[in-house]
Amino acid sequence: MTGLVGRPVARVDGRAKVTGAARYPADNPVPGALHGFLVTSEVAKGEVTDIDTSAALAHPGVVAVLTHRDMPRLTVPSFPYPKGFIPMQDTVIHHVGQPVAIVVAQTVEQAQEAATLVAVRYRTERPRVVIDDAAGAPYLPPPFRNRPNEFKRGDATAALAGAEVRVEARYSSPARHHNPIEPHATTAQWDGDRLTLHETTQGVHFTKSTIATAFALPADNVRVVAPYLGGGFGAKGPTWSHTMINAAAARILRRPVRLVLSRAQMYTMAGHRAEFRQQIRLGATRAGKLTALLSTTIAQLSNTEESIFNSSESARLLYDCPNLHVRQEGVRLDVATSSYMRSPEMTAHFGLETALDELGWALDLDPVELRRRNHTEFNQETGQRFGSKHLLKCYDMASEAFGWSQRKRRPGATKDGDEYVGWGMATEMHTFGAMPSTASVTVGPDGKVVLRIGTQDIGTGTYTIISQIVADAMGVPLDVIQAHIGDTALPVAGLSAASATIASVSGPVDRAARAARDAVVGLAVADERSPLFAVPADEVETRHGHLIHTRNRQRRDSYGAVVSRAGKPVEATGSGPNLPGLSYGVVFAEVRVHARLGSVRVTRVVTAHDIGRVMNRRTARGQVIGGVTWGIGHALMEHTVYDRNSGRVVNPNLSTYLVPVCADAPPELEALFVDEPDPGSTALGARGFGETPITGVPAAIGNAIYHATGRRVRDLPITQDKLL
Amino acid sequence: MRSFGYASARDSADAVRLADRTPGAAFIAGGTDLLNLMKDGVQHHRHLVDVNKLDLARVTESASGLRIGGLARMRQVAEHHAVRARFPVLAEALLASASPQVRNMATIGGNLLQRTRCGYFRDIGSACNKRVPGSGCSALQGWNRGHAVLGGSESCIATHPSDLAVALTALDASVHVLGPGGTRRIPVGEFYRLPGDTPQIETSLRPAELITAVEVPRHPTATRSRYLKLRDRATFEFAVVSVAAALDLRGHFVRDIRLAFGGIGTKPWRSAEAEAELRGKNLTVERVEQAGRVLVRGAVPRQDNEFKVELVQRALAELVLGLGGLR
Amino acid sequence: MPESPRPATTHTRRTVLKSTAVAAAGATPAPAPAPAVAAAAAPTTAGDVAEVMEITLSVNGRKHAVTVEPRVTLLDALRERLALTGTKKGCDRGECGACTVLVDGERIKSCLTLAVMRQGSAITTVEGLADGDRLHPVQEAFIRRDAFQCGGCTSGQIMSAVACIREGHTGSDEEIRQWMSGNICRCACYQNIVAAVADAAREVRR
Repeated sequence: MTGLVGRPVARVDGRAKVTGAARYPADNPVPGALHGFLVTSEVAKGEVTDIDTSAALAHPGVVAVLTHRDMPRLTVPSFPYPKGFIPMQDTVIHHVGQPVAIVVAQTVEQAQEAATLVAVRYRTERPRVVIDDAAGAPYLPPPFRNRPNEFKRGDATAALAGAEVRVEARYSSPARHHNPIEPHATTAQWDGDRLTLHETTQGVHFTKSTIATAFALPADNVRVVAPYLGGGFGAKGPTWSHTMINAAAARILRRPVRLVLSRAQMYTMAGHRAEFRQQIRLGATRAGKLTALLSTTIAQLSNTEESIFNSSESARLLYDCPNLHVRQEGVRLDVATSSYMRSPEMTAHFGLETALDELGWALDLDPVELRRRNHTEFNQETGQRFGSKHLLKCYDMASEAFGWSQRKRRPGATKDGDEYVGWGMATEMHTFGAMPSTASVTVGPDGKVVLRIGTQDIGTGTYTIISQIVADAMGVPLDVIQAHIGDTALPVAGLSAASATIASVSGPVDRAARAARDAVVGLAVADERSPLFAVPADEVETRHGHLIHTRNRQRRDSYGAVVSRAGKPVEATGSGPNLPGLSYGVVFAEVRVHARLGSVRVTRVVTAHDIGRVMNRRTARGQVIGGVTWGIGHALMEHTVYDRNSGRVVNPNLSTYLVPVCADAPPELEALFVDEPDPGSTALGARGFGETPITGVPAAIGNAIYHATGRRVRDLPITQDKLL
Repeated sequence: MRSFGYASARDSADAVRLADRTPGAAFIAGGTDLLNLMKDGVQHHRHLVDVNKLDLARVTESASGLRIGGLARMRQVAEHHAVRARFPVLAEALLASASPQVRNMATIGGNLLQRTRCGYFRDIGSACNKRVPGSGCSALQGWNRGHAVLGGSESCIATHPSDLAVALTALDASVHVLGPGGTRRIPVGEFYRLPGDTPQIETSLRPAELITAVEVPRHPTATRSRYLKLRDRATFEFAVVSVAAALDLRGHFVRDIRLAFGGIGTKPWRSAEAEAELRGKNLTVERVEQAGRVLVRGAVPRQDNEFKVELVQRALAELVLGLGGLR
Repeated sequence: MPESPRPATTHTRRTVLKSTAVAAAGATPAPAPAPAVAAAAAPTTAGDVAEVMEITLSVNGRKHAVTVEPRVTLLDALRERLALTGTKKGCDRGECGACTVLVDGERIKSCLTLAVMRQGSAITTVEGLADGDRLHPVQEAFIRRDAFQCGGCTSGQIMSAVACIREGHTGSDEEIRQWMSGNICRCACYQNIVAAVADAAREVRR
C-alpha cells in the first residue's frame, strides 16, 4: 500500500487547470458549431400572442429563428428535470425569462443581436412573485419523490404548552442564486437519431436519460460529455430546458449548435434557492433539555411544480427531542422553478440554530452546552443508534481551538476600537446521498492504469481522490493513473450533487482497482516467464507499480511487464451498494460590527467536522473554506430581488447580486477534522461532505452579531442598515 | 450588442470632427461602462470613435492645482504622487472604485460619464424614464434600496455611481471639454444635472464634446481630505453611501470645509448648508450632528432606502470627526 | 444622446427558416440566401454597419491575423477566433474577473474591451505564462496551495495574481485580499488564493 488516501495529495487535474488546457464544455467542443441565443419572456404571467421573427431572420448571419411553432413535441421528463413543463411547447408564460424563441446564427454576436430583433407580443396578467403577495394561503404540498412534507413525533403542541421555557421566533431568507463562474453551456450535435451533448452538467448520465426521455430516444442514442465543470453548486444538477431547446434546434437545422446562457439568463433559467419563511417554537426544561420542537416553513413554489428543496432535516434529526411537528408548506407564485442550491437544508437550519441560540440566552446557558445537553446518539426517526457519530468531539476540538471558554457571557461586552466583537456558533449537519455507480480499471502493457467512471469533478476533487484510491488499491504511483470521467461513454455513475460523489464512487473504484490488481497478480503467478511464477497470490504485494513476493523480496515483477507478456490489457470492473448518511460538524465565528456604521466583518472562523475518513485533507479543506464563505454570502449579502410589479429579477448580475470577494473571506480560518473512518461507510470509511460546512455558518454569524451587539436579526441577509 | 462602425482618432480635433460629422457616433476610451450598456441594449451607437491614441493622459501639477488628462487611467491617477500627497480624497475615491483590472482600463473622463447602476435603467424590459423618456419609473414603486433620497423627481430617483465625481465635487473641480464649438470649462457642480422631468439628460455636455481634462484647484482643504465608502461587501461594489470631506483646520477650528456625498443624491451631492454649519466654528460632535441633520433636511426616502437618511449622517460624522481628530 | 432601443415590430407571420436549404444540406455550411418573404418585410437595419476589419493581435508572443467586426470583444476574439479558450467568460460584464488577461503587462478584463482597440498591444493569456513545461511560479503556487476547485475562475485569478505581484500589492495578506478582489471565486478558495499569491510573490522576488 502506498497509503495515498487520507494524504493531502495535490490535485491531479491541477496542471490542466492552471495552464488553461482543461477544456470545459463551452470551450469550442465542436469547431464550426452555430451559435444559439435564447429570446426570453419579458413578462411573468400571460401568453404569447404573436412573435414576429422577420427582422431577426433578415439579420446578417442568422440561420434560423425558432419558436413554439417550430419545436418538435417533447415529453416532459420527471426529476431531475424539475421544471414541470418545457418552454416553447405552447404559448403560456409561467415566469419572466421563460424561453420563447431561439435564434441561431453564424457568430455569437449575430445571434445576440438578432435575438433583440424578435418582436414578441404578450397578453399579460399581473404576477405574484414574492411570498408576501401570494394569492392563496400556504399549503402542504404532496410528497416530493416520496418524501413527505409533514413530520410528527409525540405531541409537540401539548409539550410546548407544558414546557418550562418557550422560545418562538420567525425567520426569513430571500431567494438566492448559485452563480457558478461558468455559465450554463450546451452544444448539441446530431448524427441521425444519435445526439452528442457537450454539457455543463453535474451528472452526465442523468442528463443523458432526461434528454432521451424528452426526445423519446433510446437512452443509448444520447451521449453527454463534461470532462470539467466550472462550478455547479446545484445549478447544473438538474437538466434545464435550454438544453432541450438547443438540441431541438440542432436537430431541425442538422447542424451542431452551441448555446451559452448569459449571466442574466442564469437568474431565470436554471433554478435557485427559494424564498423562505420559517416559524420555530421550542419548548425546553430549565435545564435546557428540548421537550418540543415545532417548525413551520413556507417556501416559494412555482406554478408548474411544487418540490420543496429547503427541507427541515436538521429539525427532525439533529437533536434529541421527543415531541416534534415539522410542516414544510409552500405558496405558488409566478416565478421560475426553484431547485437545490448547495446545501438546500441550510435555509431551515438557519432558523433552528438561531432559535437554539435564543433559547440559550433565555436560559442563560452556554450555546455549546445547550447543544451537548440535546445531543443524541440515536436516529430520532428510526430509533437506531448511529454507527459512528463524533459530533461531541467536534464541539471539543473546535471550541478549544477557538478559545470559546474565554467568551464573555454578556452581549455587547467586548469592544475593540470602533468595533464590537462577538462570538457565535452553530452545529452543522447535512445528509449526503449515494447513487449506484460502476468503475472500470484497465492496466496497459506500459503499466499505465486507466480508470473509467462516468462521474464528475465539479471542483470537489473527484479526479484526485479516485486516483488516490486506485493508487492505494493497486500499489501504483499516482502518475501512471489516468482517470477518465464526465462522459456517458464511461460506466454509469451518479449525480455529483447532494454531496454524493465520494459516497457513490469510492467503493466501486476501489473494487475495480482491486480486481484489476488481483487479475494481474493472477496472471503473474501463472506465467512461467514471471519471476513470481507459482508464488501463492496472497504472498504477492504490490507497491510502486511492482509485484513483490513478500517472503523473498528479490522476486518481483511489474504491472507493465505482466500485462505486456499477456498480450492484451487487463480490465476489471467494480460496483456495489452505496449508502447515504449524515455528516456533522460545528462552526465558531468571530465577527466585528462597527459601533456606529453597523458594518460587519467575519474575522475568524474555526470548524470541526466529522466526515468519517478524510480522503484528502486538501480538498476537504477546500470544501470548508468555500462553505464558510458561502455562509458569509448568505448571512451578509446574497439576495435575489424580484420586482413585485413586473416579476422581473432586478439584480441579475454579479455587481448587484453580491457574492463574497476575496476581502470578505475570513483572514483566519482553521478547519479541523475528527478523521475517524465510519465503519458503516461503503466508501472506504468516508462520508459525503461538500455541503456540510455551509449549513451552520449563517446562524453562527447571526449569533455572533447578537453577542457583539445585542441585536437579533432574523431576516437574511444581515446588511448594515439592519444594525444601525 | 448591435453592430457599429469603428474609427480610431489621431488627435483631439480629429476625434471631435469624426464624432461631429458621423451620425450616432460616440467616443470610446476605456469602454468599461459603454460596452456593458451597449451589450445590455441600453444604448446603441452606430459608430464608435476610439480616443485612446489621443495625447490626453497626462497628470500635471502646477501652482494653481492639478490637471488630469481626460484619458488618464484611474490607476495612474490614484498612484500619482501629487494626488496622493495633496489631494488624497481623489486617490481614496479612485481606489475604492471598481476592481484593479477596471482601474487599469477606465479613464477619468469615462468615469465621470458612467451611467447609473439602477437595475431598471439597465434592464430594457423595465420602464425607465432615463432610458426611454416617458416610459415611467419602475424604481418609484419597485426595489429602491440603492436609490437617491435627495434630488429625485417623480421621473427618476437613480443615483450617480461615480466615487471620483463625489471627490471632485468636494474639491470644486472643473471639467474641460473640446467640442465642435471649441473649448469650454464646466464647474463640476454644473456638469451634472438633476433629473427633473428630463432624466435622460444627465450632464451639460453638448453633442460631440470630449472631456479633455479635469482641473482640480489647489486649496487649503485639499490636503486634509478623505473618502469614506460604505457598501454591502468589503470591496468591488458601488457605494451604498459615501462621503468626501476636505477640511482646513486650525486646532479644532474649521477654517474651511467641503462636503460631498455619493449614494444619496441623483447627482454627486454637495451640501453648502451642511458645510455652513461647520465653517468658521470649532468642530464638535454636536455641530457635526447638526450638519448631518441639515444635509438630509429635504430628503425624500422611499420604501427601501430610508436607512440612507440615517446612515449618511453617521458616515459624515465618522469621516469628519476622524479628520478632526475627535474620533 | 443614445438612441433608444429599436421599437419592436409586431406583424404576424409564421416563422420561417432563413434558409430552407439548410435542413437538406446537412452539415454543409449554408449559403443562407435570404428568403424573399422575410427580407421584404424586414425593418431596415441601415446604420448598423456590419463592417469587418482585418487586424493583427499579438498574443503570447505570436502574431495572429484575425477578421472581426468592431463589436467583437477581445475575450471573444481570443476564445472564438483564436481558439484560446483558457481565458474564460463568466459574466461578460466585467463583474467576475474570469476573463482577466495582461495587455502590455497590465491586467485588464478582456470582456470590456474591443479586439480592434488592442491592435499593437502585447497580450498575454494563461496559455502564455508557462515556459514550455516549466510552470510560472504563480501557476505552481496555485497547485501547491490548492488555490482553486472547479477552475472556472482560475485563469483570471492567475493572470490577476501575476499583475498583482508585479504591481507590488503583495505586502501583506490584507493587501493581497484587497487587490485580488476583482476576481470572484465562487468555490471561494480565497484563503488558499491569498496563500498562493503570497508564496509566488516571494518566489518571483527571489
